Amino acid sequence: MTEPQIELHGIQKHYGAFHALRDVSLTVPAGRFVALVGPSGCGKSTLLRVLAGLETIAAGRIRIAGRDVTHLPPRLRDLAMVFQSYALYPHLTVEQNLTYALRLRGVPRAECRRRAEEIAAITGLQSLLGRYPRELSGGQRQRVAMGRAIIREPRAFLFDEPLSNLDAALRVQMRSEIRKLHDRLGATSVYVTHDQIEAMTMADTVVVMRAGRIEQEGPPLALYDRPANRFVAGFIGSPAMNFLPGEIAPDGRHVRLALPGDPVLALGSRRLDAGRQVTVGLRPEHLVPAEDGSGQMTLSVALVEQTGSASMLVTATDPALTVAVARRLDLRPGDPIRLSVDPSCIHLFDSVTEQALSPEVMC
Amino acid sequence: MPRLRHSFRDGPAFDAFLVLLALGYLLVLSAFPLVYNLILSFQDVDLFTLASFDRPFVGWRNYAEVLGALVAPGIFANTALFVALSLLFQVTIGFGLALLFDLRFPGARWLRGLFLAGWIMPGLVVGAVWSWILAGDFGVLNHLLRTLGMIDGRIFWLSDPDMALYSVIIANVWLGIPFNMILLSVGLAAIPDDLYEAAALDGATRLQRFRTITLPLMRAQLGAVIALGVIFTLQQFDLFAALTQGGPSNASNVLQYWSWQMSFQEYRIGHGAVVSVLMILFVVLVAAVYVRSTRQDHAV
Ligand SMILES: Nc1ncnc2c1ncn2[C@@H]1O[C@H](COP(=O)(O)OP(=O)(O)OP(=O)(O)O)[C@@H](O)[C@H]1O
Ligand SMILES: [Mg+2]
Repeated sequence: MTEPQIELHGIQKHYGAFHALRDVSLTVPAGRFVALVGPSGCGKSTLLRVLAGLETIAAGRIRIAGRDVTHLPPRLRDLAMVFQSYALYPHLTVEQNLTYALRLRGVPRAECRRRAEEIAAITGLQSLLGRYPRELSGGQRQRVAMGRAIIREPRAFLFDEPLSNLDAALRVQMRSEIRKLHDRLGATSVYVTHDQIEAMTMADTVVVMRAGRIEQEGPPLALYDRPANRFVAGFIGSPAMNFLPGEIAPDGRHVRLALPGDPVLALGSRRLDAGRQVTVGLRPEHLVPAEDGSGQMTLSVALVEQTGSASMLVTATDPALTVAVARRLDLRPGDPIRLSVDPSCIHLFDSVTEQALSPEVMC
Repeated sequence: MPRLRHSFRDGPAFDAFLVLLALGYLLVLSAFPLVYNLILSFQDVDLFTLASFDRPFVGWRNYAEVLGALVAPGIFANTALFVALSLLFQVTIGFGLALLFDLRFPGARWLRGLFLAGWIMPGLVVGAVWSWILAGDFGVLNHLLRTLGMIDGRIFWLSDPDMALYSVIIANVWLGIPFNMILLSVGLAAIPDDLYEAAALDGATRLQRFRTITLPLMRAQLGAVIALGVIFTLQQFDLFAALTQGGPSNASNVLQYWSWQMSFQEYRIGHGAVVSVLMILFVVLVAAVYVRSTRQDHAV
């Protein structure tokens, strides 16, 4: 169950002078659902295509189910890919699309038919087997693309933003359907998305990429709780983490924030070099309004957004802080607000290297 | 005033005007010559009655005479061979080149542009160039083949009865390749790359991808170049005029050239018209088959 299904080692990829993947190594155990996230252009699709064999690499090794496939063409790698565009064969019916790979392998007609019906039942395509792709809605096309992948029982599934062409409601529904399918098939999946909510909710392991490098990989909540650097901290979590400059107090146990009133926050059990310049990271949901006047800082409100069940406010400070509260707040712009922070929820980053300092905080 | 113009442009009167305009154009420039040609084919026409409409109708006599002519079977066979071989090589070589340039190697676009040079040259110029290449005594092709040691003597490409038709076919194939290549290149470029990638991941080899993705998705374009190819090949006149004049003794004669010979060299205008009518019927048939086949096509 835990032997590696996919191993990427030291992958280097260039597009002309552009260095698209820089020494990328990644191991995906069998049965794992891995999400690749990162900003646009960071190389997620490129990594997936390298894995599929659709792109050549300058250096590195790729192993799938223990077999070195570095120099094998896509057709011999036994991987299935779901494209963002779905890439359905326009001249074939849904059934023919589903059974394309089987027919190439010479699976008998009756067997193809049986498997197509089986897959149609799983993906809810029973009544659509005779239609052509152009006669389907976006969501139905998505299901055909999924069905075409699972009918093959491949070594692993590769997804490149498969849900980005669907509307929000359908996206949420398909999210859980894909994850359920993954579990039911006991499959190994690599899923590219730029939507971190998608990554956090679907994946066992989230891999954060930036500029052709892997910045951090780990379980979703580990990335949320213990980001390895400022980039990951800012990328994971919505609304995004607040960052502000700070300085470690002379006792090494407190940090002074560059905010009106020079608030000082306790760091709990942590101890750092006195006078060190740091970047302080505070998640919006960890800034808690203090009713009883016990808060650690008093800031002025610039903007309040009410969604009914929750409130979001932005402070009139430089840098502005975002505060997320899971209830209604009776505040208007200009009002003061007192905020407190649990010491274990304070993220500290070196202000030069941006690496996390004492990332063992648990919040 | 602008209001008036608007209501005119949007109203049914304007639609009717557009329809009449198109119909009028067809009537004057297409239907009239066609019908006139059809009438000619049933009349006894000579140089003296050419200018008047008042000519004796002779029923099917012209048809019987043309189809019964001694040379007719040979010319029909030549025409069929000319169309079939020209198309076969134009389409396959054009498709092959289109596939080659679709590989997007460095300079592919530039090289493909060069192929257009042959296309924009007038047929008579191409004919002159080829008559120089194919000339028996001092022709380039003979010289080349001799230098390569492939032949000993000379091949009289244009005056040998066994060679003349094939010489015109070679020139016509050369003339038609750029058109086929460009049209098929456009079709190939319209097939999204991710279809090939999906097929590759599904386990298809290069050949299987060609058979199961490229060919079916190119059906409409292939149908178009074949249908248009039949029509263009049946219209090919310049090459015969420049290379063989249908000779020697009709060995390379085809319907379109024969029709011209009868009408304008022998002034048997009724006989010439019969051949054009038969050719028009055939072209209409080809066009109908083509239109039918594209109607059931699947849009990408
Ligand atoms: N064929 C190509 N030629 C040149 N550069 C390319 C090519 N394909 C991708 N790139 C570059 O490589 C980088 C990574 O591209 P990639 O498609 O992997 O990004 P991505 O992370 O998938 O982004 P997105 O979220 O926008 O899909 C980009 O900067 C892109 O410009
Ligand atoms: Mg991408």
